[in-house]
Amino acid sequence: MLAAGDCTGLEPRPEPSQVEGTLPRVLTVLSFVLERLVARNDRLLENLSGQLNGLGGHGWAMLGKSLNGFHGVRPPNISIPKYLERIYKYTGCSPSCFVVGYVYIDRLVHKHPDSLVVSLNVHRLLVTSVMVASKMLDDEHYNNAFYAKVGGVSNAELNRLEMELLFLLDFGVVVSSRVFETYCFHLEREVLLNGHGGHGEIEKALFDPAPLDDVTELPVVEDAPATADPPSLDQAVD
Amino acid sequence: MAVAAPGHLNVNESPSWGSRSVDCFEKLEQIGEGTYGQVYMAKEKKTGEIVALKKIRMDNEREGFPITAIREIKILKKLHHENVIKLKEIVTSPGPEKDEQGRPEGNKYKGGIYMVFEYMDHDLTGLADRPGMRFSVPQIKCYMRQLLTGLHYCHINQVLHRDIKGSNLLIDNEGNLKLADFGLARSFSNDHNANLTNRVITLWYRPPELLLGATKYGPAVDMWSVGCIFAELLHGKPIFPGKDEPEQLNKIFELCGAPDEINWPGVSKIPWYNNFKPTRPMKRRLREVFRHFDRHALELLERMLTLDPSQRISAKDALDAEYFWADPLPCDPKSLPKYESSHEFQTKKKRQQQRQHEETAKRQKLQHPPQHPRLPPVQQSGQAHAQMRPGPNQLMHGSQPPVATGPPGHHYGKPRGPSGGAGRYPSSGNPGGGYNHPSRGGQGGSGGYNSGPYPPQGRAPPYGSSGMPGAGPRGGGGNNYGVGPSNYPQGGGGPYGGSGAGRGSNMMGGNRNQQYGWQQ
Repeated sequence: MLAAGDCTGLEPRPEPSQVEGTLPRVLTVLSFVLERLVARNDRLLENLSGQLNGLGGHGWAMLGKSLNGFHGVRPPNISIPKYLERIYKYTGCSPSCFVVGYVYIDRLVHKHPDSLVVSLNVHRLLVTSVMVASKMLDDEHYNNAFYAKVGGVSNAELNRLEMELLFLLDFGVVVSSRVFETYCFHLEREVLLNGHGGHGEIEKALFDPAPLDDVTELPVVEDAPATADPPSLDQAVD
Repeated sequence: MAVAAPGHLNVNESPSWGSRSVDCFEKLEQIGEGTYGQVYMAKEKKTGEIVALKKIRMDNEREGFPITAIREIKILKKLHHENVIKLKEIVTSPGPEKDEQGRPEGNKYKGGIYMVFEYMDHDLTGLADRPGMRFSVPQIKCYMRQLLTGLHYCHINQVLHRDIKGSNLLIDNEGNLKLADFGLARSFSNDHNANLTNRVITLWYRPPELLLGATKYGPAVDMWSVGCIFAELLHGKPIFPGKDEPEQLNKIFELCGAPDEINWPGVSKIPWYNNFKPTRPMKRRLREVFRHFDRHALELLERMLTLDPSQRISAKDALDAEYFWADPLPCDPKSLPKYESSHEFQTKKKRQQQRQHEETAKRQKLQHPPQHPRLPPVQQSGQAHAQMRPGPNQLMHGSQPPVATGPPGHHYGKPRGPSGGAGRYPSSGNPGGGYNHPSRGGQGGSGGYNSGPYPPQGRAPPYGSSGMPGAGPRGGGGNNYGVGPSNYPQGGGGPYGGSGAGRGSNMMGGNRNQQYGWQQ
């Protein structure tokens, strides 16, 4: 479950002077939804394994291979909320990218129903989908090399994952305003229904009113670190 | 995932792309080369279908998958229209066995990604640049109508093309014209107050609002480009061949007049207006310069080359213009002649050979045919010139469309016509000399290009009587699946090309402007 204390998004909104520590609420909401999903899927997999053990099988055997590229050897040490926060903090991508990234992940599992988002792949799925979303949406975005540093994967691997994602999505990377709103509504409801109520209007209150479309197209920032290089992840996502 | 909102999501079911390997195709030959990579003509092994394969360049590791390619793919995925190039699928080529970490899994995309397009034989620029080529009025109307139909479709689907130019308009041998190269395209929304980049559209076709630095714009930008192409078809050469932005604006002002708050309310608010404001009064001279154009054509052109984008005609309204409904009517695409396809990539080589040949000839003091001036195709003014007959020029149009001889392929082995300087739309006034090059002799002149009058319209072909067998269909134009004609220095921006690099910064191309005379 969500370690809500870590995230200011669910606390009363800070004064503007405190903006420094403020995270868009979407990060909190998304963390919550994803952690719940991953926990459920991990359990599911465990049960499957348990059942299959008797038969000499393994839970993984039941899964499709679609998301194999995103699987790490073991779950990274960094939690989902912290990972999202890290991506947001260093890449400065717009909050909308997290919703759109989530849309991509959701499309992925719908296109490939035998695939599960689990603790072994959720980080790679996130960094890749948020990066692609940012490429599609943001005026300025960091290149893959920078996202790789932030995400704790190699540049080459992230490029490969990007390609995997694009192909798994059949390049269906367009998210219309209507779909975007639907997902916002949906995310909000997930949280409300699960005891984290109190802050309606996720979409209005916490997303930039800005742009779903890639509204401005200025030159891509070539490594121009608005912030310094991200400190490397203690443990790379592997 | 447990979280889909039913009914709204993941509705886009299409056959999975990227599942097939490029090995399903047999590469026949390279037909383009640009900054983005190569374009090949290829045959699908199973069906024998001819396609164009455009390789997506992936060598900038830091950037990952090129954003222009993502955009082009996502946009072409949602556009399905007979006048928009069809992206059939994406195929991959398996790369080396191991990736950087030496993992045996490797990267199945490492070898390359190819976009598979339907194959098109020509592009408009390449076709027009063929020696001996002259478009008839019904043919021009036919192309213009298809261009506008395709563009209208894009615009109602909220897509701006942003790189409309002749080499991005592909034409097949059924006379169909399709918009290609959506690497600069983007979606827009009417109510959006979005800021868009003004660094789009090849310079010669770039509208004044972008040159003045506007970042809020819409479909009207494409319509300006259409106007430039329309005028070019009628005039016989590009009308605004600027070599840089200031010169580009100046050329526009010289023809269309200088913008002010009267003819273009709000123009003074555009970012760079004050930098480029002309110092002397400049009057609109379009009607005067192009007075020889047919009345309906001129009327339509006026409305396309309107400075104020908000007053510029839309694709929809242009399709309703009198021009397309007055005699001579646009012809049926299928009635158009079939030309042998040729590609710039090869013609360059041929031209090199040709040049060598010419030098040899000079050394041997052989007379070589003079090159043609570039003249407009058909004038409607009813002058006495053979090629200036009123009404349609029937050369390319008739009930007996000449058919390219030979295999569906390309006679790339044969030398082509005079090198680069050969005029586009050469006049039939002096057709004789230039096209008697020996190398053309056998190339199927019998198709009817130079034979007698075409019955349906009963007019003598404006050229052909002067002995230029086969010149028309065999000209050295060039289809550019990704490479601009050699005189377009921006290079990479061919029809299947998607490169951003160098676009919009094209320099004046050598022979493109040398006869640029109307503004003197």
